[in-house]
Amino acid sequence: MNTIVSEPAAERGSYRAPHTPGRGHRGEATAAPTSPESPASSLHALGESEFADLYSEHSRAIYYLALRFLGDPQKAEDATHDVFLKAFRKMDQFRGESSWRTWLYRIAINHCRNLQQAWTDRHLITNADDAVWETTAAQTDSPLRVLENKELGHRIQTALDGLPAEYRLLLLLVADEQLSYEQVGVLTEQSPDAVRGKLHRARKAFTVLFEQTA
Amino acid sequence: MQRQTKLNSEEQAQAQQQTGAQQTQQPAVREFATPEEMLRHDALHTPVPPTVAHRLRESIAKEPPHAPSWWRRLLGGSKP
Repeated sequence: MNTIVSEPAAERGSYRAPHTPGRGHRGEATAAPTSPESPASSLHALGESEFADLYSEHSRAIYYLALRFLGDPQKAEDATHDVFLKAFRKMDQFRGESSWRTWLYRIAINHCRNLQQAWTDRHLITNADDAVWETTAAQTDSPLRVLENKELGHRIQTALDGLPAEYRLLLLLVADEQLSYEQVGVLTEQSPDAVRGKLHRARKAFTVLFEQTA
Repeated sequence: MQRQTKLNSEEQAQAQQQTGAQQTQQPAVREFATPEEMLRHDALHTPVPPTVAHRLRESIAKEPPHAPSWWRRLLGGSKP
């Protein structure tokens, strides 16, 4: 198994992903308590407590997806704002057929894809196909190391930027422990088996690219 | 002889201090079994900028009051 090695980071936030053993049994996380000083409390002031809880619980996941999918902190900030504003407008349309997390991801994915499409229309982008990863002579079985922890995010972004958008999205969604393969499949419009198959290739491609960023 | 011993112990202490400093400078190694694990670690340490919530609050404040959806009206959830 490939091992990716990095220096541990100091805690920069208080969020802890709920640990749920095994894929496919991932429940919704308990809403994080909202302190009076937290940004979400400013939403509570509007009397929209349900929405504030929603923001408090899911904003980090949505922001991270947008950040790593779009590769631009400002765009990610804008996208997170827009996604939650859309969610606020459509909250009464949520029928509970999926989890809130999945519902928000769907809005976020559509939003990010639209942004990316608009950008791609202006700039010709070509992603290398699988053959590149298969033939790249990288030591994918050896550990990958990060010299400076502050570079970790930059290296991850560089590696993700080199991936086809489909692989990038797949890795980001699978990394969320609250999503099952089935839910990832629904979000990416493919079967859970297809998710598993592509995930294997996505992991390999990411590892190759990450190693090249050293 | 005592003088020599003291010097030796001072040298040893100095050497230990240097070794300690070198050890603290060496980054600890963290292993990730999969890219997803690394992404989870990265996500945990990537907070949402607080400006998002503030901007969102301003945007929501400008939104018109939520109109009840058709089925709520149908079920008599609100007065006409």
